[in-house]
Amino acid sequence: MRIVRRTDEAPGVHTIEINSRGDGRSGQFFMVSVPGVGEAPISVASGFGRNTLFTIRNVGSVTSHMNKIDTMGVRGPYGTKWPWKEYEEILAVTGGIGIPPVRSLIEEINDSGKGRKLEVLYGAKTPEDIIYKTEIERWMKKVNVHLTVDSGDENWTGRVGLVTSIMKDAEVSKSAGVFIVGPPLMMKNVVKEALNLGYREENIFLSLERRMECGIGVCGHCNVGEFYSCEDGPIFNYHKVKHQKELFL
Amino acid sequence: MNYLLTGEEMRNVFLKISKDFETYGTVEKEGEIVFDRVEDFNQISERRSRYAPKEFLFTRNENVLLLQEQEKKAIFGIKSCDLKGFYLMDKQVLGKDPFYTEKRKKTFFVNFVCNEPCDGGFCSSFGGPVLEDYDLQILKLGERYHVMVSERYKKYFDSFKKEDDSVFAEFRERFNSEMSLLPVDGIENRMKWETPLWKKFASRCISCGACNFSCPTCYCFDLYDDHDERRREWDSCILSGFTSSSAGNVRKELNERLRQRFYHKFVYFKKSQDAYLCTGCNRCVEDCPVDIDIKEVITDDYSEE
Repeated sequence: MRIVRRTDEAPGVHTIEINSRGDGRSGQFFMVSVPGVGEAPISVASGFGRNTLFTIRNVGSVTSHMNKIDTMGVRGPYGTKWPWKEYEEILAVTGGIGIPPVRSLIEEINDSGKGRKLEVLYGAKTPEDIIYKTEIERWMKKVNVHLTVDSGDENWTGRVGLVTSIMKDAEVSKSAGVFIVGPPLMMKNVVKEALNLGYREENIFLSLERRMECGIGVCGHCNVGEFYSCEDGPIFNYHKVKHQKELFL
Repeated sequence: MNYLLTGEEMRNVFLKISKDFETYGTVEKEGEIVFDRVEDFNQISERRSRYAPKEFLFTRNENVLLLQEQEKKAIFGIKSCDLKGFYLMDKQVLGKDPFYTEKRKKTFFVNFVCNEPCDGGFCSSFGGPVLEDYDLQILKLGERYHVMVSERYKKYFDSFKKEDDSVFAEFRERFNSEMSLLPVDGIENRMKWETPLWKKFASRCISCGACNFSCPTCYCFDLYDDHDERRREWDSCILSGFTSSSAGNVRKELNERLRQRFYHKFVYFKKSQDAYLCTGCNRCVEDCPVDIDIKEVITDDYSEE
C-alpha cells in the first residue's frame, strides 16, 4: 500500500494515511509490515470507509522503520470491534498511545449519523505528548472531550492529573458503555475507578494489547487465558475476562 | 469399519494406496527411526519415530508468502500418540492456517497401535492407544492385522473380511490394565496458579524449548522477515521473548512461562476447545535435559502453598 500522507503528532509519534478505503471497524487492527523488517499489529485510527490511518509510535524494529518508507504491507482487518451500537451513551477513557481506536470510534459514530452521546477522557504525559491536537478541537464541537496531563507546562491551562482523577466529572449516565484503551496500569486503575463510580462491569470494554504475530489465532503468542487477543479480542468485555490472572500484564 | 487382514493382504492394500498417494513410513536410518519414502509395506518399522512427525503438516521453518499446492501423501507407521497430536492441533488451526490446512486435507495417516505400553508413556490417560479419530488404524496381533478404517478410505478394504469391535475392545482393556491411568479428569480445576511446582521446575529448566519442539501438539510459531521472504518457525512459550511487546512482557519470569505451558495444555485448551492439549506420548519428558516431567503436573495434589 502506498503512503499518501504523513503527519507528525507528538515526539516519536506520527500518523500514516494509505491510499485505501478502510474496511476496518473501530477497535480492530491490521498487521502492517515493512518488507524485510517484519510485521506489527496497528489499530485502525480512521473511521470505517475513510482512507485508512495508522498512528504509530516509533518503538520497535518495525515501527521505527515506518517513517522511512513510501509503501508498506497491510493485512486485515482483524479482531473485535467496539460495540458502540449497543449503547446510547459511551464513555471512552484513553491514555497515551491508546487514543487511535478512540479516534476511529469518534469518526465512525459521527459518520454513521446515528445519535450517540459520546464523552472522551484522554490523559497524556505532557501537553507536547497529546496526539491529534488540532482534531481534538474539531471534535469538541460534537463530542465532550476532557483532557488531562500528568505534568503541565507554562502554557497549559487545562487539568493536571491522571485520567482516573477526571472520571467523576463525566456527564454520561452510569448505564453508559465504558470503552478503555491505554497502558496496562492505566487500564487497571480506570476499571477500578469505573466500578467505584457505579458503572457496570458488563458494560466495560477493554482493548488488550499483546504480542500478536499471525492475527488469526494460530501462532499462540497473544493469549489472555483461554482467549487469543487477536481473535477473541482485542476488544474484550471486562465481565468475561475479569478473572484472568494475566489481564493487565 | 473393522477388517481382518493377513500380512500379504496388508501389502496389497499398501500397493493400492501407493497408486493414489506418495507413500511414507517409519524406517531405520543410522540407528534412528525416521520417516522416509517407502515402496513396500514390509519396509515399515513398527518402532516409534525418534521425533513426532509434526513436520508433515507444520513445517519447522517455511516461507509463508507462497502457498504451494501439495501432493497427496500417505504416512504409515505414525504412532497413535503422535497422530492424536494432529487431531488436537486441528481444533485450533485447521481452516485458519492455510499451510497446515492444505497439507492436512491431502494427507492420509495410517497409525500403528502399540501392542505394549512404552516406558514412561501415558497415552491411555488421554484416549490412546486405540483412537476415536483416525483414517486407518492398525493393530497387529501375531501375524494378523486388525484394522479400523474411516468412511473416507473404506474403498481400499472392500474385498476383505469384516470383523466386529471386540478385538479392539479386548485389546484396549488389556492395554489399560498394563498402563496405569493418571488422574486427568478435572485437572483444569485442580491446577493452581500459585504452587511451588512452577518454581521447582524453573530452578532447573534451561529454557531450551525441547519440550515444545518434541511435542506433537505444540502449534505456536514465530513470524519474521528474511530479505524478501516472510518465514514462520516453530516457537517456544518457554523462551523469554515469546510475549515481549511494546506494552511490556506478560511473562518475564521462567516459572511464569512454565506455568503458561501447562495451563495451556490442561486449563486453557480445555476451556476453549474442550480437550487437553496432551497425548501422553512422554516425548517432552524424554527430551528434557533436566528431567521436568509433565506427569507431575497431573499427579500433584496442589496442597502445598
